[in-house]
Amino acid sequence: MLADDFFLVAWDTTGTGKPRLYLQGLTLGLAGALIGELVLENRLTVSGTRLQLLDHLPLRERVADATLADIANSPQHTDVRTWLAYLAQRSLDDVTGRLLAIGLLECVTPKLLKHKQNRYFATEFGPAVWPSTRLRLSLVRRQPLNPYDMLLAALVDACGMTDTVVEDPAHRPTAHRYLAAVLAAMPQPLSDLSRHVSAAVGDAVLTYRT
Amino acid sequence: MPVAPSPTRPDPIAGALAADRLGAPSVVYFVLSAAAPLTVVAGVVTTAYAVTGITGLPVAFLAVGAVLAVFAVGYVAMARHMANAGAFYTYISRGLGRPAGIAAAWVALIAYNALQVGLYGAFGAAAIPLVERWTGVSPPWWLLSLVAWALVSVLGVMRIDVNGRLLAVLLTAEVAVILLFDMADVAGPAPAGLSMETLSPGALFVPGAGALLITATLGFVGFESAVVFSEESRDPRRTVPTATYASIVIIAGLYALSAWAMTVATGPAKIVEVARRDGAETIFVIASAQLGGAVVDIARALFVTSLFAAMISFHNTTARYFFALGRERVLPAVFGRTRPRTGAPKAGSIAQSVLGFLVIVGYAALGLDPLVQLFFYGGTFGGFGVLLLVFATSIAVIAFFSREPSGEDVWRRLVAPVPAAAALAVMVFLAVSNFSTVLGVPEGDPLAWILPSVYGVAAVVGLVWALVLRSGQPAVYSRVGLGAKAATIHDLAR
Repeated sequence: MLADDFFLVAWDTTGTGKPRLYLQGLTLGLAGALIGELVLENRLTVSGTRLQLLDHLPLRERVADATLADIANSPQHTDVRTWLAYLAQRSLDDVTGRLLAIGLLECVTPKLLKHKQNRYFATEFGPAVWPSTRLRLSLVRRQPLNPYDMLLAALVDACGMTDTVVEDPAHRPTAHRYLAAVLAAMPQPLSDLSRHVSAAVGDAVLTYRT
Repeated sequence: MPVAPSPTRPDPIAGALAADRLGAPSVVYFVLSAAAPLTVVAGVVTTAYAVTGITGLPVAFLAVGAVLAVFAVGYVAMARHMANAGAFYTYISRGLGRPAGIAAAWVALIAYNALQVGLYGAFGAAAIPLVERWTGVSPPWWLLSLVAWALVSVLGVMRIDVNGRLLAVLLTAEVAVILLFDMADVAGPAPAGLSMETLSPGALFVPGAGALLITATLGFVGFESAVVFSEESRDPRRTVPTATYASIVIIAGLYALSAWAMTVATGPAKIVEVARRDGAETIFVIASAQLGGAVVDIARALFVTSLFAAMISFHNTTARYFFALGRERVLPAVFGRTRPRTGAPKAGSIAQSVLGFLVIVGYAALGLDPLVQLFFYGGTFGGFGVLLLVFATSIAVIAFFSREPSGEDVWRRLVAPVPAAAALAVMVFLAVSNFSTVLGVPEGDPLAWILPSVYGVAAVVGLVWALVLRSGQPAVYSRVGLGAKAATIHDLAR
């Protein structure tokens, strides 16, 4: 699912087991991907700053259904930014939990410093690197993207990770130009969603404190 | 913004989001710790006495505090109606239009860079006595400044901010030391006794008073930042105004008291002479007459840590400023990107560091004085820029509320903002006409008109740039003043 793919792009699961993205950006990107999963399945839509419920019908997946239920139970909250902030609080646990449950991830808890970040390693190499490889190839070879990959590319870009995905500096200008064209052609709800993620990530940089 | 929970059933979303929200005391701590009080008291105040040669600084702090408190009435009211409450230029573009906003953004960029770079000079000057004491060697100031510069540059790109708790501890220790010094100064007055001369309003009506007003404004830099925390505060309608007023009152009171206490210890007639003789050591020399050497040594160390905390804080503020402007595409887009691993606004941080390096090396090569010509000139030049921004914002507040009364009462829309703008206009006029006194140079010295006109040039270039953007890139132009939220505006050009 979308948030799983975003996690595999943003987390170095085949090397160090540590995140490639700082925590605030990561959790906001994952929150955007969790909303995105429901938008792609026509359960929700985003219009301007509003998040609207279209359909209660469950997806039969634990995390997505919990998110959908939360949104359905609080109709007074329609601001996308409110939901991003709320979901960001638990998005990392939700998504890693889902990947652990299907056996694609292993968690290594640091023994000495308990407060440090858990490390996550992929159990299989291929599926773990596929999302970022797929994005890189599409962007560099200028291949058409389906809505799912468009949104993934948009969220990755909103979190400032495009250059991490396109490792080779020589390919970056092409990739950026193609990505701009892809983003411009993206369906309205997806583009509105990714803009809000981008703004939330930017605000997080501006109000950063320790 | 989260919607208020309905009274009948608890709102789990609002509840979860409110869990780590800030109250007014936390916001005041954030504001004051960035202001680094010991840097102002031990660095700015003493150097101001030495350079300007006039003694009305204590009353100037109270006067500027009063003006800013009245200004803050309209300022915090307008903040409630802003999507992106933060830097002054966002208020100016909302109130006076985007061209004025872009001009203000350029002025602010210069002012904050000047403030930051100036701190390197003070750090070098203040660290020399400590290094001498501990190692016996006395390195040149620029070597120590470069060490601090290297640390700040690396920490900036790695996005390691000084931990909030550590800052709070340092701030508390600084304020304690300042109050202890004040008590010691007052307990051992000069033959003139507890003279109120420097606190009387008459001390403001002297030639060169504009210099005092700039210096005092410099002490308040950072008071405006409480509004940045609106979205994170428990009750934005009350927390932010309370924190803003509290910060102004605390800063005015603490600095006026300390500046006055020094003149009590030396006698108002001799403070200028003492400050000129002892430089960055002034307050320690004055206080060591009453306090033991150990206390004074702790204070010296705190002065250096205070400067270092201020350097990191201003470095990050400036880097984020570059970032916000890059996000709006007022600066090249590269400034709007972050380093993925850390989230540091990389390009802004590097730009700031490059400027700092060039200035330190330039000053060292020209053999200029780090405390007066780098720290004090940089600080007052930056302080003057901030004064211009506050003045422009005060006009923007009036213009904004005249178009959109927004449900605010007449006190917040007119009764407070109009006198505040008038008082700020007088301050700007005095500051410009007395700039030679600020710098301690003879009247007619070219520096006294070159420095203020830098802002004029920046504003004009900003205006021209705004017009170029408006005709050439309307999509970019429409985002000005939105900061990070610029991303939510649709590109018309696409």
